[in-house]
Amino acid sequence: MSDSTKQNSEKGRYYWKSLKELHDDPSLAEAKANEFMSGVTDDFKLSSLSDVSRRKFLALLAASAAFAASGCSTYESKGEIIPYNKEPRGVIPGIPNYYASTCSGCKHACGTLITTQTGRPIKINGNNEHPVNKGKLCPRGEASILGLYDPERLRQPLRNTGHGFVPARWDNSNGAVIKALNAAASGGKEIAVVTKTVLSPTAKKVLDEFAAKYPTTKFYSYELVTDVNRNSAWKKCYGTDQYPLISWDKAKFILALEADFLAKDGNMVEQMRMYASTRNNENLKDFSRLVVAEAGMSLTGMNADTRLKLRPEEQSNFVMSLLNELIVKRNLSRFALDKEIASQLGSVSLEDFAKRNNIERSVLDNMVSYILKSKNAAIVYAGHRLPEPVHIAVNLLNEVIGGTALYRTDQARVQLLPYSTPQDFEGLISRMNSGKVGVVIHYETNPVFHFAPDFGYKEAMVRVPTSVTLGKWENETSVWSSWVMPINHDLESWNDFKNRTGLYSLQQPVIYPLYTTRQKEAIVLTWTTGSDDAYHDTMYHEYLKNRWQNEVYSDLKPAVDPKMFWYSALEDGVVTYDEKPEASGNFNVEAFKSVTPPPMPEGFSIMLDESYAIGDGEFANNGWLQELPQPVTKAVWDNYASISDATAKELGVDYNDIIEVRIGDRSQKLPVYVQPGMADKVVCVDLGYGRTKAGKVGTDVGFDTNVLLSKKPSLSQWLYTGGEAVKKAGSYLIVTTMEHDFISEPITRDMPFTRDIIHEGTVEEYEQNPRFIQQETAIDKPTTIYKKFEYEGVKWGMSIDLNKCTGCSACVISCEVENNTPVVGKDQVKVSREMAWLRIDRYYTGSVAEPMISFQPMLCQQCDDAPCENVCPVAATTHSPDGLNMMVYNRCIGTRYCSNNCPYKVRRFNFFNYRYKFDGGYYAREPVEMVNNPEVTVRSRGVMEKCTFCIQRIMFGRQEAQQNGKPFTGAGIVTACQEACPANAITFGNYLDSSQEIAKLRDHPLGYYVLEELDTRPNVTYLAKLRNI
Amino acid sequence: MNRTQLEYTLRVRVPILIFVAIASITVTYFVSRPTREGIGYAPKQPIPFSHKLHAGIMRIDCAYCHIGVYRSRYAVVPPASTCMNCHTIAKRTAPPIIKLTKYYDEAKAIPWKRVDRLPQYVYFNHSFHVNAGIRCQECHGNVEDMNVIKQVSSFTMSACLDCHRNAVKRLPYIPNIKPGPTYCYACHR
Repeated sequence: MSDSTKQNSEKGRYYWKSLKELHDDPSLAEAKANEFMSGVTDDFKLSSLSDVSRRKFLALLAASAAFAASGCSTYESKGEIIPYNKEPRGVIPGIPNYYASTCSGCKHACGTLITTQTGRPIKINGNNEHPVNKGKLCPRGEASILGLYDPERLRQPLRNTGHGFVPARWDNSNGAVIKALNAAASGGKEIAVVTKTVLSPTAKKVLDEFAAKYPTTKFYSYELVTDVNRNSAWKKCYGTDQYPLISWDKAKFILALEADFLAKDGNMVEQMRMYASTRNNENLKDFSRLVVAEAGMSLTGMNADTRLKLRPEEQSNFVMSLLNELIVKRNLSRFALDKEIASQLGSVSLEDFAKRNNIERSVLDNMVSYILKSKNAAIVYAGHRLPEPVHIAVNLLNEVIGGTALYRTDQARVQLLPYSTPQDFEGLISRMNSGKVGVVIHYETNPVFHFAPDFGYKEAMVRVPTSVTLGKWENETSVWSSWVMPINHDLESWNDFKNRTGLYSLQQPVIYPLYTTRQKEAIVLTWTTGSDDAYHDTMYHEYLKNRWQNEVYSDLKPAVDPKMFWYSALEDGVVTYDEKPEASGNFNVEAFKSVTPPPMPEGFSIMLDESYAIGDGEFANNGWLQELPQPVTKAVWDNYASISDATAKELGVDYNDIIEVRIGDRSQKLPVYVQPGMADKVVCVDLGYGRTKAGKVGTDVGFDTNVLLSKKPSLSQWLYTGGEAVKKAGSYLIVTTMEHDFISEPITRDMPFTRDIIHEGTVEEYEQNPRFIQQETAIDKPTTIYKKFEYEGVKWGMSIDLNKCTGCSACVISCEVENNTPVVGKDQVKVSREMAWLRIDRYYTGSVAEPMISFQPMLCQQCDDAPCENVCPVAATTHSPDGLNMMVYNRCIGTRYCSNNCPYKVRRFNFFNYRYKFDGGYYAREPVEMVNNPEVTVRSRGVMEKCTFCIQRIMFGRQEAQQNGKPFTGAGIVTACQEACPANAITFGNYLDSSQEIAKLRDHPLGYYVLEELDTRPNVTYLAKLRNI
Repeated sequence: MNRTQLEYTLRVRVPILIFVAIASITVTYFVSRPTREGIGYAPKQPIPFSHKLHAGIMRIDCAYCHIGVYRSRYAVVPPASTCMNCHTIAKRTAPPIIKLTKYYDEAKAIPWKRVDRLPQYVYFNHSFHVNAGIRCQECHGNVEDMNVIKQVSSFTMSACLDCHRNAVKRLPYIPNIKPGPTYCYACHR
């Protein structure tokens, strides 16, 4: 496309998916014109065939046929039907059962509803009854089901012989550990328990009893990235321990400072739901405005109405300048009278700040006036990685602008065991080194991988005589331990969780442990009793039940008897009760007065954060998550150094070149990812990758960036100033999906009119003319000489509200789990063979330095006049009377014509039987096939597949309607993507039924169809995004 | 080879050969069809359960054992515990019941031989059909007369479509019956 046509687009906007597209890279012209990448379909080489001769081949053929014939005792045999011996109550094959439970994939403990089919869990959804996540779940929670069936889970205890691990029995291993515990306790040596966030009050009690039995026990708790800075700032300002929850749904103005609250900072499911509810195009009065000031490009930044590029060192100045503007210049709030504050703020001003950071003054003025306009509904939120002084200043800023009104008083976070400080760990490590620690227990933790190398944890740990690691998988810590004990998966465990006031969330097992694993709480209970004989299957279950009967029941005093209370709590998965959070005091001005000006930025700022998909590395062995395109960069199976375009030019590097990132004496070589919209001289790196002992899938994926961490924080534990980035020789291929599946120019070139794929406008435009995106008149629209098919009764349609969609990709994972999508691996994604039926297209517009971003979930549009149907030579894809574009696998012969003819590029071809292809058949091993949804075909090699609008759910709905003797209207059918969407952006239903929401959305003034000019008449309506600028 | 011989070969032998070949293929195709489609298949079951006795003489409802039939895709082959509802008392000393009790007591599943089978890519739904008032016998034959259960109908796509298209003619006992769906997603997904 020439530069002139770029300008000819609607409103002069040109949307680009990648820098290559923006700069008209010739390699992309080819990618756009061809359905498959070059070489993908013709890599059949004679030389690659085995050199078995024809004679030998025929001989083998005959022999195998003979074997096959003799193998079947009778050719008529159709196998066996194996029924239950004793049928479990309420289980009928073909009808799913649902159990409420809790996800323990991270510290937020969302409520889950687990679908099981004949006793095996196949899908994890959010629990609708749960007040925090309200039926939604994040990608990690959705994908965690694969962990249950991971073939590499530990199946029995392991003993370290010094030359490797040998399987051990539970009684022997527990006996040895108990002996060591007794020796340590009587010898006055420390027993160190290293745990992550303790979320369960019952588990806490178990640990406390353990400590009572072995009095030298000390607990240490950590997470790779925490909000300790925010909480300690809060404590200094208000005297209470926990930063409050925020009513995002009431906010009209949000200023997020390096705060990725839609993804990594806090409970993304809850925050996204609340935030998205303020982006409702039906309620423009309360339409929120999101301003993000950040250095890297975060998911939140991508959703911002206004985005300011700001190095992390400058955040403090920004807040101070705003305070100066509001308190000193505009005399707002009671603090204006405080001379000390005025003098403290005297050295900064918004003007200087704008000048120094190349930010237009008008943008800031506009922002300030908007803040003042939205009094008591504006909030400034600082990211958890920022240092404590910034948080203190932000607390003051919220006092000034009335952001305090958005602090929730109905509920607050609860922390059962405070995180240990780096000093605590230094103490532990020095005691380990001096032989004062007798036993160290890693309570499902991996400190060898997570801790900054300058702690020297591994070297210290190997000096401890007995080290025990509890975990589901082997990891970097377990390989140095003397005992490794396998624990139950979430779906095999009992527990209760409490991380909010007034709320208990229960976890119940939905399957008996697959292996001889034990729940970690039960292992500790066994140790407390002092003998392995005490262990039995229901040990922790009974303990939990007893605590609930004796403590929780008597605390809450519900109106039912204890048994009823327990079972109804289990059924709902949650118990809510009246518990007011501790009231916080008044703002302590002295805390602010101790805030000193931050250092001026120098060198490179290195910013480290958890990975979006695999967290701190815990989910590294999960292929679905590794293959989930990172929502911002669309990269899979890797981490990398994201830098801005200008910085890349300055360093003389491009995508995939290697740079060395240095902080002090620590360094790591990383491939470069040029990220539009980043601040210059900043390197953003994801943690959690580069694991050396994570299993077959997760080992050696990406680069170990934990080596860049230090026990001595710079700006904070995760943000380092004064780093370096140096170009190095070599290159490393980062695979992204951003240049796959182009739906653009070549197809629509000859059309009488063209519409952009992305439509958007501003709230103002929409207020003035609600139909502003509907530019064409009826004459423009394509006509046809054929008679339209008349649909009767049911016609499926979907609507996706791009205002609410944040690009979080929860829908992508939910779809993969529901529809048995295989993992293909990095080498296959490289050649555009990823299998996800639903992808999130990401478009940039504007300049490389300051782009705006639009997301567009793209799935089969179920076109009424589907181009794929016309070209299938075997009629494997046809149309149903309820408007679905059907794909019949057993009929498909794999010509791939349909995919070639699909303008939306949503069809996926099985170039291999990926279950056997990926990683030497990793996902064909026992018991992975148990994760498959029995209502969906497992596709084999050589067939085409695509989104079916969850036909299995539609059919189940039809079945239920018929059983109840009701006409089928399609109400209440929820697709997997819709079910997962935390922002509630997806609506699905029968639009011939005017009572359904979808019927209204079909004719929404903001609704449009992608590539409408092709007259495919799609059934997915996109509601255009409105920016509140 | 002289002329008359060639003529004889071309005019008589070759046509007869072709006719015989075509005829035998055709006859074999039709004669072997039931066998190929499994009609008449009656494997020996681990326990000689008689549908004639239970469903015919004693008139036990099909859904007493096949509990899924009104509610699920699957009719469900009953667990041993269903048999034991009666057989803890009834006929305890009969050899088949002793075998049954042994399976039950040892908590083993009974490996029933499958008689009727659809390919895995067919998502046949029992509940749709039974709730529409279609008798089990339409596909499974007069099970209540069978001592040994056997396949009586052909479970091919053409057999399905035959009934789906001609429901009015095939199922005259159901008032207002409508033809069944014939689009792909009705059975395949």
